[in-house]
Formats: sequence, structure tokens, C-alpha cells
Amino acid sequence: MQVLKDIFGLFNIFEDIYARIKKILVPPKAYSWQTLIYLSVFSLLMSWLSNGFVRDAIAFCGWLFLIAGTAWYTTDNPLLVPGTNMPVGALITGFLISTFAFRHQENIITTNTIVFWPTISALITAIPEFFEGTGTDVNPQIPKLEDRQKIIILIASSLVISCCLQFTFVVNKWYQEYPSLRLDKIPRTFVMKIVPSTKVPRNGIVILEKLELRIEQQILDRPWSEVEQWLLDAKQRVANLGRQVIETNLREYEEKSLWQVEPRIYNLKSGYKLDLLSIWTGPSLSGRGYYFQKSCRIDPIAKSTNDKSVIAEIDCGRISKPILGPPPSAQ
Amino acid sequence: MFDYAMIPEIIPLGAILFNFLFILIAIPLEAYILNKRLKFDKRTSTFYAISINLLSNAIGWIVFFLLEPLLAIPLKSELISYIFFAHFLSTKIQMLMILTAFIIFFGTFLLKVLFLRLLLLSLTDFQKSEPASTSQRFNLRRSQKLKLQNTNLATTVLIANALSYSAIAMILFLIPKQL
Repeated sequence: MQVLKDIFGLFNIFEDIYARIKKILVPPKAYSWQTLIYLSVFSLLMSWLSNGFVRDAIAFCGWLFLIAGTAWYTTDNPLLVPGTNMPVGALITGFLISTFAFRHQENIITTNTIVFWPTISALITAIPEFFEGTGTDVNPQIPKLEDRQKIIILIASSLVISCCLQFTFVVNKWYQEYPSLRLDKIPRTFVMKIVPSTKVPRNGIVILEKLELRIEQQILDRPWSEVEQWLLDAKQRVANLGRQVIETNLREYEEKSLWQVEPRIYNLKSGYKLDLLSIWTGPSLSGRGYYFQKSCRIDPIAKSTNDKSVIAEIDCGRISKPILGPPPSAQ
Repeated sequence: MFDYAMIPEIIPLGAILFNFLFILIAIPLEAYILNKRLKFDKRTSTFYAISINLLSNAIGWIVFFLLEPLLAIPLKSELISYIFFAHFLSTKIQMLMILTAFIIFFGTFLLKVLFLRLLLLSLTDFQKSEPASTSQRFNLRRSQKLKLQNTNLATTVLIANALSYSAIAMILFLIPKQL
């Protein structure tokens, strides 16, 4: 008997839930917010089925219905964000308007959406104060004295919050444009890393790799006198080649003008040692920059056993780990 | 703005907290000065202090966002070096820093005076109308009084701004260079 009663009790709970959901979802009359939400869902579905201009127009209407419906639902009995006079509904409506205004072809949410969201929510909170009366007969008015102070402070603080959000995105943009910053550990004074970096920045390394190829082209298998002539003029030539390499490979990064390429030449008993340096002159933890180094040996060899003419051979080692501090000065 | 990663890898938490700290320090100092010199009651002067600080802070940020893409690469790398590593790259930057500090101080002073005037205007009761007066001498005295009030306003805001910036400068020098 008891078990049967419990089962009926469970059924009652389900009926209760069903009644509540029905009350929310079914519009009591035609002129209510649920109608607008259903209209917007309908429009968005229809826009999927069409193409081109019609699609854009219907999707546009769909967004408008969604915004209007949410605004209506949330202004009936406002639930306030704790500590402020901003209804939670204004946050939601503000988010929708922000998404609608700043949407893009690829992403629905862009950075502008997040940045403008608090300001738009505050403006939405302020707008009802400019109208007195309820329902459909409304007159514009200047808001009352006590409310003016609250509105002004709300709008001002939401502006500051928006600016802080935008600053976050600007700092992240810098972090992407200047990947060579990731080499150093960033102290936690002003910024904080929340995603641990996995990849070592490769810009300095890439420069040296590509540079090696070009220098090999110019030195390998050339007559020895030509190579010695080349080495006399090395600073200029390496700088030019380096500039070409940087322009081709680091084209999309803003940090490309902070990389410099220099050679260091040392005389050996036979032949020369050519060190290629890619130097980072930008921000770093120590303040003195760092550089990568690739050491190459250039030796004269005979072309073949028959031919006695001397040509050059070049052999480069691996790229070093980043070396802190400014590079050794040239002799 | 091109499409860069939406999930931020770095958050300038320290910078935002410092900003909040500056505003928090400036508000009571300026409210006190406004209360003492312009004879507003405590509640109104607090409101004025909060609003002009928040609004001028927001305008300052907006100016920064407008100028940042226009910076030359050496300047930008100094800025990035300060934000990321808390020190500057070259020593020649000192002159530019002093110039920037001056510009910021006077810029915020002008903004604050402007906003205070706007706020005073916005908080008047628009329903009450000014009593009509015909006396010439009365008008002259009233215009002199208004001029004196304007000068008084500007001086007060200057003093308040100077006080809050001195407090901010003291704090900025106490930031440890390498944490």
C-alpha cells in the first residue's frame, strides 16, 4: 500500500513539473514574450533553408525577435545583480545585442562582443528610466534625481569594465604578434599566464635555418678566391640576406623588425669559421636580449684529384640554445 | 582587428588590479577636497568623486586604445617590455616618460573639470525655474559670483587631482622591479 502511495506521489511531482513547464512555454495570450521567442526560432530555422539575401534578411529578423522577446521576459519582474541596480535580464539582453551587432561570418562571438557587453547592458538598464508609465502608454521624461546618480555610476563603471576587457585582448594580441617573448619567464607584476606555453618560439631558429641555405648557395663549390672576397664583405652580405629571409619567413609577425642578423668571422689555420647570429633586440627578462648562433666552417678543398683548382666547402653545425646577453663584438 | 585566439592565454590581472587601486585611492582623497573646498555634502561629493574618476579613467583607456596601433615599433617594444617584464629597455625613455606623465596629469585634470561641470549641470532640478531679476547690479554681481565659482571649481579639481596623483606616484615607486 505504502509503495503504491509513493509511486502516485512521484507521478504528482512529474505532473507538477509538467504544469510549470507548460506555464512557461505556452503563451497565455498572443501578445506575450513567448510568441516572440517562437517567432525567432521559426525565423532562424527558415533562414537555414534559404540562401543569399533572403537568408540574411530572415536571420536578421530572427535576431530582432530573440532580442525583443528576451528583453520583454526579463523586464517584467527584474531580478537584480547583487549589489547593483542592474537586472540580470539586462545582462542577458545586452549579451544578445552585443552578439548580434558584432557577429562575423566565421565566428558568432568576436572580441568586440565581449568588450561592449557590459556597456550595452548598462545602457539597457538606463533606458527604462527615461520613460514613465507602464504598458503601452509611455511618455519620455528625464529620470528622477535619485535615479540619475545610480545610472551615471552604473554606466561609468561598466565603461571601465569594458576597457579592462579590451586591454586583456590587446595584451593577448601583443603576445601573439611577438612570440619571441615566450622564451623568458614572465614575472607576475602586471600580467599572468593562464595557459602554459608548450611550443618554444621558433622565429630566431627559422631565420638561421633559412639563412644557412642561402649562404650555402653562395659559397659552396665556388672558387676559393671568390669566397675570400665574399668573406671580406660578409657583414653587408649577411645583413642583406638576413633581411630577405626575415621578410619572407616572418612576414606576418610584428616582431620582425626586432630581429637582426650578423656574422662573426674568425681566421683558422686553414679556412675560416663563420658564426651566424640572429639577435633579438626586443623586450626580454634581463633587458639585454638574447641571440641564437650557428657555427660554420669554410675550408678550401681541391675540386677533384685531376683538377687542382681550389673550391670552398662549407659545413654548419646545429643552432645553439638561446644565449642571454648581447653577442660578442666583431673584430 | 583580425581574428585572434578567443581564449586569452595571458590576463593582465596585475594591471587591472593596479588600475582599481588607483581609482580606489583617488576617490576618497578627491571627495574630501571637494567636500572641504566646494562645500558639497559628503554624499554628493563622494558621488562626484566616483563619477569623475571612473569617467576620466574610461576616457584615458579609450585614448590608449586609439593610440596603441599608431605607436612606432621601438616605442611599442618599450611599452610591451614594461607591461610584461616591469622594466624598460633603454635609458633614453626617461624623457618621454616625464613628458607622458605631464600630458596624462593635465589631460585628466581637464577631463575631470569638464565632467564635474557636466555633472553639476545634470543634477540640477529642471522643474524649478530661475527667478527673473531685472536689476543691472544684481546681474553683474551674479556673473562675478559665477566666474568666481568657476575659478574655484577649477582650482579645487586641480588640487584634488594633484593630491591623488601624488599618492599614485608614491605607490608606483614602491612596485618592486623584479618580483
